[in-house]
This record gives sequence, C-alpha cells and structure tokens, in this order.
Amino acid sequence: MTAVPRPSVAMTLPNAIPVKHRGAKVTTFLILVFFALLFALPLYVMIVTSLKSMDEIRLGHIFALPQHPNFDAWDTAWNKAASGFTNTGLKSGFWNSVLILVPSLIMSVSIASICGYALAFWRVKMGNLLLSLLLVCAFIPFPIIMYPLIKMTVALKLYNTSFGVSVVHTILALPILTMIFRNFFSSIPQDLIKAARIDGGRFLGTFVHVILPLSPNILVVVAIMQITGIWNDFLIGLTFGNVQSYPMTVNLNNITQTQTGVRTYNIYMAAALLTAIPPLVIYFISGKLFIRGITAGAMKG
Amino acid sequence: MGPSVIRAATPRQEAFTHKHAATIAALPVLGAALVFYLGSTLWSVVMSFTASKIFPDMTFVGLRQYLRLFKDSLWALSLHNLAIFALGSLLSLVLGFFLAVLLEGDVPGAGIFRTIYLYPMAISLIITGLVWQWLFNPTLGLQQFVRDLGARDFVFNWVADPQKVMYALIVASVWQSTGFYMVLCSAGLKGIDHEVWQASRIDGIPKYRMYLEVIIPMMSFTFLTSLVLLSIGAVKAYDIIVAMTNGGPGGHSVLPSYYIVDMYINRRFIALGAAGSTVLLLIVVAFLVALPLINLGLRRRKA
Repeated sequence: MTAVPRPSVAMTLPNAIPVKHRGAKVTTFLILVFFALLFALPLYVMIVTSLKSMDEIRLGHIFALPQHPNFDAWDTAWNKAASGFTNTGLKSGFWNSVLILVPSLIMSVSIASICGYALAFWRVKMGNLLLSLLLVCAFIPFPIIMYPLIKMTVALKLYNTSFGVSVVHTILALPILTMIFRNFFSSIPQDLIKAARIDGGRFLGTFVHVILPLSPNILVVVAIMQITGIWNDFLIGLTFGNVQSYPMTVNLNNITQTQTGVRTYNIYMAAALLTAIPPLVIYFISGKLFIRGITAGAMKG
Repeated sequence: MGPSVIRAATPRQEAFTHKHAATIAALPVLGAALVFYLGSTLWSVVMSFTASKIFPDMTFVGLRQYLRLFKDSLWALSLHNLAIFALGSLLSLVLGFFLAVLLEGDVPGAGIFRTIYLYPMAISLIITGLVWQWLFNPTLGLQQFVRDLGARDFVFNWVADPQKVMYALIVASVWQSTGFYMVLCSAGLKGIDHEVWQASRIDGIPKYRMYLEVIIPMMSFTFLTSLVLLSIGAVKAYDIIVAMTNGGPGGHSVLPSYYIVDMYINRRFIALGAAGSTVLLLIVVAFLVALPLINLGLRRRKA
C-alpha cells in the first residue's frame, strides 16, 4: 500500500535535484575544510613555533614555517627549563604525572567497578538512594569541597604527596565512574548472573569470571577517560601536590610563568607539545572509544 | 528449573554473606560520597557563617561574610564575567550543532574532519590557554600577522584589553569544546527516526526548515544536556584563566572559581572562600532546577 506512491516520487527526484544537490555538497565540503583549518591552526602554530629560534620568532611571522627547524627548544624544555625552584625542565613533571596517574587509575577503576557491579546485580541496602546520592555528588562544584579536602588530606598525612594527589583524583572520579559502570552492567542480562549464582559463584568470583570478561570495552573507555582527565588536570595537582610531586601541567605552567624578561615562546610551545603528546597519542589511536569516554564522562565535575 | 530447585536449599548463611559482600563493596563509595562530598559541602556552608580567617573559627557571624563578599567589587566582577563566559560558551553548542549537521550524510573524509574538530578536547586547558595567549600576542601573534598583510591599524589585542579579555577566553574555550558538542549533537541526530526524513522528502519540505521546525525541537534532550554541561564548564573554569590571563588585566578575567581558590590559597580567608563557594553551589542548584522546568514549560506550550 504505502509502496505505491513512492516510486513516482523517486522518479521525479533524480532529475530535479542533482545539480543543486552537488552544489550544496561542494559548499558543505568547503565550509568543513575552512573549520578544519581553523581548528588545526593552533596545533600548527605550536609545532612551527617550537622548531624556531627566538631570533626567528622575533621577526613576527607566526604562521611561517621555520627557516632552520631544530629541536633545541624541545631539548631545553625537557631537560633544563627553569620552573620556579629548579632548572630540571619538564622531565621530572612527566614522571610525577605517571606516578600520580597509575595509582589513581587502579584505585578509581577497581573501587568504582566493584561498587557499580554490586549496585547492578545485588540487592544492596538502599542502593537506589546511593545512586541518587552519587548523581548529586557529580554536580557539586569542586571549589566547595576543596578546602575541607585539603584539611582531610593533611590529617591523613597525604597532603603535599603524589599519592595524596592520586587519592583526591580517585575521590573525584568515584561518583561518575560508579554510575557509568552500574549503567553498563545493568545492560548485561540478569540471567547470566543468576546462572553464575546457581553454579555457586560468589560475589567477587562472579565479578572476576563472569562480568569482567564481558566488559573489556567499558574498561577501556573508562581508562581512556581517566588517563586523559588525570593527565590534563592542573588544579588538583597544584593544590594537593608540592614541588617534588607537581604533575607535568603544573610544571609547564611554572615554566611559562616564572621566567622574567624575555618570554621564550619556542620553549613554551615545545613544553606544551611534550605535555600534550601522551593524551593526543591516546586520542588518535583510540578514536571512537575516546569519544565514548568523553561523552560518558561528561558529567564529571 | 531443576538445578535451581536444588540450589534453593543453599544454606541461608551463604546468601547472607553474599548480600553482605555486595553491601561492603558499596561502602567505600558511600563513605566517599557522605564524607568527601556531602560532609565537605556542609562544612563549607557552615564555615561561610563563621568568622574563620586563616584558621577555622566557630564564632557565628550570620550573613556578614556574604555582605562582605558582595561588597567586594572583584566578586561582583567575577559573577558578571561568569554570565558573559556562560553566554559566550553557547557558541560551542551552536557551532558544534552546525558542524554535526554538515557532517550528516555522506561527506567525503567525515572521519578526518571529526578527528580535527575534536582533538583540542584531548589537550589540557593549561595548553589551550598558553597557545591562545601566544596567538593573541600583540607584537608577534595574529594582530601582527594581519598588520603585515596591510591592515596597519588592525587591533586584536584582546588578552590585554579589560573590556575584551573575556572574549579572548571564550574564543579559546570554544576552540577547545566545540568538537565535544559536535559529538553530542551527532549522537542526537543519529537518534532521530529515519522515517521523519523520508516523510519530509515526500512532502518536499526544504532541509533547513526541517532542522528548524522538526529536528531541533526533537533534540531538546541533547540540548538540555549540553546546556547543563556548558554551565558546569563555566562554573568550573579555572585552568584556562591561569594559563591565559591569570585573572588580568586588573581582575577583568576573574571567574568565581578562580576567586574562590585564590581566596583559600593566597588570601587565606576561609569564611569568604566558603561563602563564595556556597553561592556557586546555589547557582548550580538554581540552574539544575530551572532548566527542566523551562523545558517542561516549552513542551506544554507546544502541546
């Protein structure tokens, strides 16, 4: 019945539309190219600036390709750029970031996944109440809990340590990660869990042997989201760390803000690129999973 | 059915431990939520009514700190800036939606375009602030570039201009987050039933009218989510200010979160920081309550 009118429409369309359609397509494409250039521009400027000498930068041609491209600024940024108290460049910050990232990644993912699993499959007392509570937590702005968190980490002797920074990252990730895991696990058929329970599976055993093998994707998505989020963090590292434990972003900011006199933008841009490389590599490799990660983690904060 | 009947005889005790294992597993998160979130929030709210300066001091002073806060011209300026910044951030959503629409259909290289629009999202806001500060450099950046092209009087010195510094922050922030809203809008567009489009083709309705009159209203959930995220982003904004302007020139790029952190860390005035953050919380709450209500109102009017 409905198929009857359609062929006639389909027959009239191809004659009338193509020329106009092709024009529209070209316009669309050109607009997309324009915006792509606009979005790529800052990265391009970062790269060419980092390969120039200061003499060349002073000529003022910000978009020009470097005349004598070299990695001197990269070397300085990594090894000896001054950042307030030390002249050891970014490399210490890089290792601090790794040292902050690894424990917080392990702690946040394991605690949140197990809790999400408990909420999805087991009758946790007042589980729904906890879920609503987590949603509320996800909306609490960080500044209001910052000072009490400082006091508590001081009391726990975690303040000004790299592990303390990891703990705070974990705390800040728990509400949103728990909700993400709980939502994902809820999509796993309950029957599987019932079957496992019938086979005598215990709480943790079922989690490790039944649930985790079904969830590699969500684990990767959450890991990507956490790695980029923690790597790019500035405020937590600044407030809860100290000179020995500042992450790379704080180190970078110190390099760009403590120098007096000439602002050496080639070194700044090299330092910025060095800091950006780890998350950018993850981004370009992971593609769609990264997108899922930022969409799922959007509520964080 | 057979095995389950047999297992129904499982000792009660085992079921008991199972149930408790789940509750125990939920305890760390519950504890974190109660202590670190609710407890901390409550503590800050209480502190905002006290005379605490460098150290917590439980002397109750009523609303005096709030009066002091709103007499501080820098705080008033930060709220004003927050409104500008939040409104300006809407550009990310508008542009993101526009790009998502353009990428609908079979555009060659769509994947590459998406990758380019989204990469700023993977970069720290410290870097975003730094690179835009460099682009806005008056003697070596964009301004000089355009002047060299011949426009001698071209002025694009936004970072150093008290009246325009917020626009500079908005440009940097829009560059950073447009790709993200593009992704959200793409997901929303994909969720729209194919038959809606087919019906419009048969009726000969032009595409732009379809978007304005049918698709955008259908995507109200996506836009609502985006508005919530945009407002949270504006309330959170801190790193980008530090890297790009450090609040300058003369406090004209200070946002509330920057003001509060500065109050706690540098000016060491606990009660005032607490009062500021309580106001920030109230703003978020008001926004979260208002948005769904507005949405509901719009739907009612349509119906």
